[in-house]
Amino acid sequence: MTAMKTPSPATSPAPPAGGAPRATKAARAPRAGRRVRRQLPTSPWLFAAPGLVIVGWFILYPFVSTVLNSFTDKRQLVEGKYVGLANFRELLHDDMFWIGLRNSTLYVLVVVPALVILPLLLAMLVQKQIPGITFFRSAFYTPVVASIVVVGLIWVWMLDERGLVNAVLEAVGAGKVGFLSDQWLLLFSAMAVTVWKGLGYYMIIYLAALANVPRELHEAAAVDGAGPVRRFVSVTMPAVRSTMVLVAALSSVAAFKVFSEVYLMAGPTGGPAGEDTTLVMLVQRTGTGLTGRVGYASAISVVIFVVTVALMLLVLRADRKENR
Amino acid sequence: MRHSRIFRSPRRAVPAAAAVASLLALSACGGGDDGGSTDASGKVEGKITFQTWNLKANFKSYFEGLVDDFEEKYPGTEVKWVDQPGEGYADKISADAAGGTLPDVVNVSPDLVAPLAKAGIALDLDQAAGKYEKEYLPGAWKSHQVPGVQGTFAFPWYLNTGPLFYNKRLFKEAGLDAGKPPKTYDQLFDDALEIADKSDGDIATLANVPTIEDFGRYGVPLMNKEGTGFTFNDAKGVELLTKYKKLYDAKALDGQALTATPESTGKKFLTEAVAMNPGSALDLEKFKKDAPALYKNIGITPQISSTGKDNMYVMGVMVNKRTKQTPAAVAFAHFVTDAQRQMSFAKKVAIFPSTKGSLDDPYFTKADGTDETRVRIAAAKSLKTAVNYTPVLFSEQMKVALRNSVAKALQGKDSPEEALDNAVKQCDRLLQQS
Repeated sequence: MTAMKTPSPATSPAPPAGGAPRATKAARAPRAGRRVRRQLPTSPWLFAAPGLVIVGWFILYPFVSTVLNSFTDKRQLVEGKYVGLANFRELLHDDMFWIGLRNSTLYVLVVVPALVILPLLLAMLVQKQIPGITFFRSAFYTPVVASIVVVGLIWVWMLDERGLVNAVLEAVGAGKVGFLSDQWLLLFSAMAVTVWKGLGYYMIIYLAALANVPRELHEAAAVDGAGPVRRFVSVTMPAVRSTMVLVAALSSVAAFKVFSEVYLMAGPTGGPAGEDTTLVMLVQRTGTGLTGRVGYASAISVVIFVVTVALMLLVLRADRKENR
Repeated sequence: MRHSRIFRSPRRAVPAAAAVASLLALSACGGGDDGGSTDASGKVEGKITFQTWNLKANFKSYFEGLVDDFEEKYPGTEVKWVDQPGEGYADKISADAAGGTLPDVVNVSPDLVAPLAKAGIALDLDQAAGKYEKEYLPGAWKSHQVPGVQGTFAFPWYLNTGPLFYNKRLFKEAGLDAGKPPKTYDQLFDDALEIADKSDGDIATLANVPTIEDFGRYGVPLMNKEGTGFTFNDAKGVELLTKYKKLYDAKALDGQALTATPESTGKKFLTEAVAMNPGSALDLEKFKKDAPALYKNIGITPQISSTGKDNMYVMGVMVNKRTKQTPAAVAFAHFVTDAQRQMSFAKKVAIFPSTKGSLDDPYFTKADGTDETRVRIAAAKSLKTAVNYTPVLFSEQMKVALRNSVAKALQGKDSPEEALDNAVKQCDRLLQQS
């Protein structure tokens, strides 16, 4: 038996003073160590592979497929052929597309400001540590966890011509209001439901942000004579501005892609004469079923994607400007 | 070379390979296997899948018994029964058909058969099982034929039709004779205007806008003979829509009719907000259970039709052309829809068999004094001449187009002529694209 040639720690030369040891060829890692290093570039990918496959399968492939389909006349049971920009040209002449774009845009313009401001006010109310406040926090959060189908049905019952709201209006002598039969009232009713359902969710986000606002700032402002409104504008709002931007970004994308509330309240036709149709409803109506036009629905989906990306960029750009 | 480096570098090769593998796997999803054979004369054996539509909840034991009987009659066969929810059923079939995973035997309605037949997915029963044609009512056999495509693409299964229900109390309160419900369209519209007037617009008589079957029942020609274009914008169609506009303006048509669904109109009638609603024998039990006050005042009258023929709904059983077990699939589809099985199913639920002679069974002809039997006998009688007014080529998208055009006319945004011209134009375009 020959003695092992690998130097023992006791016999190894001491590292030079004042710095990390500099590896020489002879002193490089032993064989086993080299093998580990050779595996390093691949092994992270192996760990990530399941996630990558899922992302590729469920996100990337459908996205790429949608974009490719938008340039074809593909139907549900018939493989389409390439038609260039024909679907997009057809969109320009489709009244229903413009109605959908109008309604989705209107939804953003009405719902987003409400969802940026109202949950903040609500969060300030429930932030106070008073007895029983947990009950109110939970109560405001309840609509968030409720199923949208249940929420939609309840509101349909309430807003029906013979529903609770009209009964109250009649009782006070105001007469019936066609919440579910008038094109605009129906759309605004759906917006009210969206705001009502979203309040609790964004309230929680604001509560977290408000917890980080130093109390001293409020106290200092109060000492300087600032009233509640002044303190809200000058102290609270700047402190939670980044959260407001986040809420604006999230709610604008959600509002532009609204489907369930309007579908449940306006019915599968999209309200009287389809006047309450949103873009996502149009995708569903056009592209599904055995006779669905997948290519055309994909073109609408591409438009929705482009607009939502533009909305995000707009919000972030406004935030950057504000930061400067 | 830059491109080859992508694959030489292990860092990039792994994700690239994963992506390619995923895409290849996914691309395989769209590939259907034509497989199968149109020859149903071989030995009945093998494993097949049978898909129904919203039947498991109420008829589980019936279908399990049916499967057992078939497997006993044909040793060596195995039937797997799957039931899908009614909601999104067309989408489920569509996804299965596109993915090549459509079951061997499928419960369908004529409007679902049409695109499947056009795409070459439904087996032509005239070729594969023409010998069974004589067992069925001629109208029912034809209901699964598609204009422009040669063949018959599903066995007719059960039929349904029903009377018009009306609320006697609301009729009486409007000063009408509850014992003399309307028999013609003119009487219907007159009574509706009277009820709206007497109730100061609070009680509507109808809760839904006219659909394609209403146009058909009114005597409007719906499609040309070749099945290449719609024709419901003719003078008679305009006349019907003009009358509905008058009803809408007088609040004789419910204010929410423009967005109504069959479920919502049923609820309106149940809560006595509207005076009349079409229905079937199934509804009587529901009235008795859910709305006893209404049930006390329920009036039953035949459908109103200008053609002398009632509207009927047809359900079918289709055989997937790509099945590997054509003889077993055809045999099972026939087994489900034969006279014995249809009769047995009809006695479990208020539907009607599509087989010849079944409607002459005493069950459908002998009165026993109850409302249920009266409705059943009347419906069975009307089915001998009834028509499925909804054209098989009239897709969901077309239904929405018609409905939205009708709504525009009722709101006064378009004249009835403009609205129907526009609807026909849209439906023709959709027909060409299908």
